[in-house]
Amino acid sequence: MTTQITSARPAAGPRKESRRRPPASSATTVGRPGFAWALPAALFFALFAIVPLIMVAVLSFMSWDGISPPEFVGTDNWSRLVDDPVMLKSIWLTLLLTVLGVVLQTPLSILLGVWAAGHQRNRAVLSVIYFIPLLLSATAVSVLWRALLDPNFGIPADATWLFGDGNLFGEQATAIGVLAFVSTWQFTPFHTLIYQGAARAIPPVLYQAAEIDGAGRYRQFFHITLPQLRTSMITSMILMIVGGLTTFETVLILTQGGPGTDTTISAYYMYDKAFKSFDYGTGSAIALALVVASTIISLIVVRVSGYDKMRSSAEGVS
Amino acid sequence: MKTRARLPRLVATGATLALGLSLAACGGGNGGASSDDGKIHVLVYGDASNKVEQRIVDTFNKTSDVKAVLDTIPGADYQQKLQTIINTPQAPDVFFNWGGGSIKPFVKGDLLLPLDDFIKKNPDLKEKFLPSVFDSAVVDGKPYGVPMRGTQPVLLFHNKKVLEEAGVQPPKTWDELLDAVGKLKDEGVTPIALGGGDVWPTQMWFQYLYDRIAGPELFAKAVGGDKSAWESADSKKALDMIKELVDAGAFGKNYDSVKYTNGGSVQLVASGKAGFELMGSWYYSQQLTDHQEFAEKDLGYTAFPSVEGGKGDPANVAGNTNNYYSVMKKTKHPEAVAEFLKLMYSDEFVKAQLDIGNLPTTTNTDKFIDGSGTPEYSRFQYDLVADAPSFQLSWDQAYPQKASSDLHKAVQQFFNGQLDTDGFVKAMQALPTE
Repeated sequence: MTTQITSARPAAGPRKESRRRPPASSATTVGRPGFAWALPAALFFALFAIVPLIMVAVLSFMSWDGISPPEFVGTDNWSRLVDDPVMLKSIWLTLLLTVLGVVLQTPLSILLGVWAAGHQRNRAVLSVIYFIPLLLSATAVSVLWRALLDPNFGIPADATWLFGDGNLFGEQATAIGVLAFVSTWQFTPFHTLIYQGAARAIPPVLYQAAEIDGAGRYRQFFHITLPQLRTSMITSMILMIVGGLTTFETVLILTQGGPGTDTTISAYYMYDKAFKSFDYGTGSAIALALVVASTIISLIVVRVSGYDKMRSSAEGVS
Repeated sequence: MKTRARLPRLVATGATLALGLSLAACGGGNGGASSDDGKIHVLVYGDASNKVEQRIVDTFNKTSDVKAVLDTIPGADYQQKLQTIINTPQAPDVFFNWGGGSIKPFVKGDLLLPLDDFIKKNPDLKEKFLPSVFDSAVVDGKPYGVPMRGTQPVLLFHNKKVLEEAGVQPPKTWDELLDAVGKLKDEGVTPIALGGGDVWPTQMWFQYLYDRIAGPELFAKAVGGDKSAWESADSKKALDMIKELVDAGAFGKNYDSVKYTNGGSVQLVASGKAGFELMGSWYYSQQLTDHQEFAEKDLGYTAFPSVEGGKGDPANVAGNTNNYYSVMKKTKHPEAVAEFLKLMYSDEFVKAQLDIGNLPTTTNTDKFIDGSGTPEYSRFQYDLVADAPSFQLSWDQAYPQKASSDLHKAVQQFFNGQLDTDGFVKAMQALPTE
């Protein structure tokens, strides 16, 4: 959703930009791509995104176990979901995990990113090491941490002062903690990369001027670096939110929604209903609710952050 | 000019694409039961046992005009993928399943062939198998499966050394088990290893206790749709006893963070940090793979203890009775399929299964056991199953597949105290039974 908005923007973008480039409709344009070029992508998008979405919407009003013919049941699936305590809980858990992800990852990746943009010794080597978690698949990461956190043979067995009896996956608070930690561990490198790029793009002249004015390192960080990272921060946070709402593999492998339903986030609940309980109607309803919720949240974020009216960061400099 | 020229090109591109896609869609329709390619497709769970299945298919193909093809679906996704293709042209002719509830929806959807006619023509298709095992694939009074692979009774395994050091004998009764739990705790070991993170190992304790206390009838009633069974005094007594065991610290405190599937609980027993583990008979080969020295020297096994005053026969067994081959109704070659199924009680089949550690449940298994790789263990299992008046199919297999997720949740939540007795009863009553 967000990519569409960004790519649509330049047409109404900053005046400066448009002055430099001739208007798109100008007759002098040679070889402007025609609509046909978008057709294959549009067709595939329709076939693999729009059509299934419509089918899911239809299915959410049906009762279907995958074998017998689907039966139309009106709004039954929906009204059951509204009264379902697990569904309500799953929404809270999804939001909680998303917020935890943003709160944990943002400061960490800003600090790491700004640091990695510098010229310290061994920086390149360390950056590569930090980057490794992102190269592993979410599945591998989850399997790895599940083994590392085994109460009898993993880290908790050697650090009982910290983990107690090590029942990390048996209690809600710690299970959620583990989920938040594992996704932070995996995705911080990616956001670090965004901030590293953004921090490198800050013109050194700003720091030179600040130094002349006698600003220390902390002042420089809070008054130059952070404001200059604002646009990247919004990009990174939107990615985190979208990622948080669609988290699935970590839950599937680390906790299977357990203990009980204590870590059953909405995406996992959908899987549980549709593919484990063969109740495709309810699963479809949850899926559709997720689509609607994600869209609304994305729109809110875009509106509140001012992403839609954002100016080029180059503008404030020159 | 330009815009006008663009339109036909656009249409052409679209048409080509649409054509390509629809052709691709047609291409996927080959193979399987409905489009007859002169073969029978046998679909099995993809794992190490496939080499035996392939061998049986090869044997069959030597003499049959209609050839068999072995298709495999790898690993744990079997049930999900089977459910997805079962009602499509890709459906197989014959497929692997767990009997009971795992095929009930297919029977209800009128997809499976009752095997009455096959058995009428060749009574051996029924008589060559142990009755308690054969009956697990009977749905609504009609047989829908022929046993293949082996039986997997759940046994109480133990670490001989750990028990010896604590001065404990393998328990024959429930009281002896409770006594052993106390003594093992005093020794500082977890009395019973439990992979609660997988949930199904937790369920095994329910299966056995319900059977010992109430007999097989109570669960049969419950899974048959009579939900009052869960409120009965016997049901509550079983729950009380489970609670008592958990509260006594029999499983330690972190069992829900331990898994069987990643080798956690297996290692607990092998390394002497735990005394017992309740697990299916595949546990022996698991230990042999993971901890060979321990498995050969110190791994002991007994049947589940008896419960004093219980209505269930102490000789009853719980677990996976067996795997089965079921036949699709729309198969084009029922005669060939009937011939193929005959091989499931052949000498060659039994020997090959025993060689890879499976224990077939045919009546001729007996004479091959002594020549197998682990004769003592195979003999113990075989006698246990052959003498069992009833074989309780794992609950999550006996219930329809759509109930298993909620069933698992209820079991886990009762065990760790999130649900009390009434809550558990209510959760079980809410499970769909058909």
